[in-house]
Amino acid sequence: MQNRIEIRNLSKVYGEGSTAVKALDGVSLDVRQGETMMLLGPSGSGKTTLLSVMGGILRPTSGSVKVNGIEISNLNETRLPKVRLDNIGFIFQGFNLFPALTTLENVEIAIELRGRSIPKGRARQLLEAVGLGDKLHAYPANLSGGQKQRVAIARALAGNPPIILADEPTAALDSTSGQIVMDLLSNLARQEQRAVVIVTHDARVLHYGDRIVHITDGRMTDLPEAA
Amino acid sequence: MANLAWKNLVYDKVRLSVTLTGIVFALVLVLIQFGLFLGFLDTTANIVAASGADLWITAPGIPHVNGATAIPESRRYKALSVAGVERAEKHNIQFVNWKLPSGAQEAVQIVGFELNSGMGGPWNIVEGSVDDLRGEDTVMVDELYKEKLGVKGIGHVAEIQGKRARVVGFTRAIRSFTTSPYVFTSFKNSQNYARLGPDEMLFLLVKLAPGANAAAVQKALQETIPGVDVYTNAEMRRKTQNYWLFSTGAGVTTLMGAALGLLVGMVVVAQTIYASTVDHIREFGTLKAMGAGNGYVYKVIIQQALISAGFGYVLAIGAGYLVAKGSETGNAAILLPPEMALGTLVLAALMCIGASVISIRKATTIDPALVFKG
Ligand SMILES: Nc1ncnc2c1ncn2[C@@H]1O[C@H](COP(=O)(O)OP(=O)(O)O)[C@@H](O)[C@H]1O
Ligand SMILES: [Mg+2]
Repeated sequence: MQNRIEIRNLSKVYGEGSTAVKALDGVSLDVRQGETMMLLGPSGSGKTTLLSVMGGILRPTSGSVKVNGIEISNLNETRLPKVRLDNIGFIFQGFNLFPALTTLENVEIAIELRGRSIPKGRARQLLEAVGLGDKLHAYPANLSGGQKQRVAIARALAGNPPIILADEPTAALDSTSGQIVMDLLSNLARQEQRAVVIVTHDARVLHYGDRIVHITDGRMTDLPEAA
Repeated sequence: MANLAWKNLVYDKVRLSVTLTGIVFALVLVLIQFGLFLGFLDTTANIVAASGADLWITAPGIPHVNGATAIPESRRYKALSVAGVERAEKHNIQFVNWKLPSGAQEAVQIVGFELNSGMGGPWNIVEGSVDDLRGEDTVMVDELYKEKLGVKGIGHVAEIQGKRARVVGFTRAIRSFTTSPYVFTSFKNSQNYARLGPDEMLFLLVKLAPGANAAAVQKALQETIPGVDVYTNAEMRRKTQNYWLFSTGAGVTTLMGAALGLLVGMVVVAQTIYASTVDHIREFGTLKAMGAGNGYVYKVIIQQALISAGFGYVLAIGAGYLVAKGSETGNAAILLPPEMALGTLVLAALMCIGASVISIRKATTIDPALVFKG
């Protein structure tokens, strides 16, 4: 199976001098196509930082990050958006939907970002696939947390990205909605052959992972099976 | 994308109305102050602008058209002898006292013109005619000053410098920048009212022969006639405008008011647009995480600013137009010419884009802590 993400000896230091915080310290790991990887660790251990670096939102202090074969650790801000656009779908704990847009428009804007290469009808298909075919014209304020996260999943899939990065996607949800969301996410790996990384500290959802990586104080505590 | 900018704006109607209030406030302030300035510019020298004269011959060194001193009538023949001069007509503009029915005095400016000359007379006549001024002791005043001068209507008899003055006509919207209204009469009458000698006058108004070169004739007149200044109509206008607007401070005050309005408005607009960007910062971060480049985010922010500017502009022009309309019969004219309306549109756009540029920096870097927070 192909590696979608390859991380080697990654470190990230926030700030400088006496206030410097070493959020990641020598992390190496691979994420393969078709697998769901659970990133587990206590609060402040560096999970969000790792996800941000993998997704090209944050530049690492040192080390190498390859996304779909592209080295992104030294790409600048004018080139990174394209990498994210083509490869990554983000899912956030707080959903981050656009409150002024309807469900359908929230997905359409992600399609629009990619120019005209994706047919418009795709937004509706994606929403139907997450079970929200009857909420196309609802506004986020009128959706439940679980429904919002499903809209966010549909939106993340707009560009058909090979990689899905989710940061505590069930933290704000009750366990039933959480399970629906986790089912959807793990199916993206199993059935659609994407690489899915899910940050969590929710023990109830760990069994959805094909692999669990523990992280404490910016270090991996279980060695990944390097390819 | 227009969608997101537009929808974000109408989604938060309270913020939109605060933003629009700021923009409208700023623009109306600028419109009124600048309109007032243009009104002053127009009013201060209207009597020159509407005179129809090509050149003005005056005593040397006069400060402005309302402050002339006498020159001998014989200058007229010298002027007529200069090539390129078609007409040279005697003219007076002089402060005199007008007696109210109560017995009190009100200062006015008597404007005496040669009835047949087609120069220096009243315009916008709404009652009576220039021919009515042929009668002895007849004058014409502006509607605006009926009350001030205690004039009820045609046939009203007042006294100017103790001499009879009968109102035979009215003009409309001929304002005086000073507190003394213009009172039009024949040159002959004005000589009488102004207590000038029979061979004295304050101005000679020159009409050029067709095809004559104004600068050349001006120079020839200046060389031929001793002890006078010769101004083109534009020079006399500018001289008078400069005096009233800048020597008195009225112009500087209104221009400063306009600048202040602009400044206050910019701060208000910058503040609301900045606050709005900060409010949406997580959405912009999300857009960028989704793969949008900075250009896309800028466009959304600038579109929001431009849409706000457009709405603010329409409201401000509407309000400005009403104020200008209302000022027509008021103490000071506020002018709102099309050029100014257009200028204000550009100003509104620049103001809003400028304000949003300040906030754009905020949205160009994604703070993961913000985007990923629960
Ligand atoms: N922007 C930042 N500036 C300084 N320190 C930060 C910043 N973001 C995160 N940190 C620190 O880095 C460490 C890891 O944070 P984070 O990746 O958010 O952990 P987690 O997601 O596992 O809770 C924490 O100690 C946190 O305080
Ligand atoms: Mg976190």
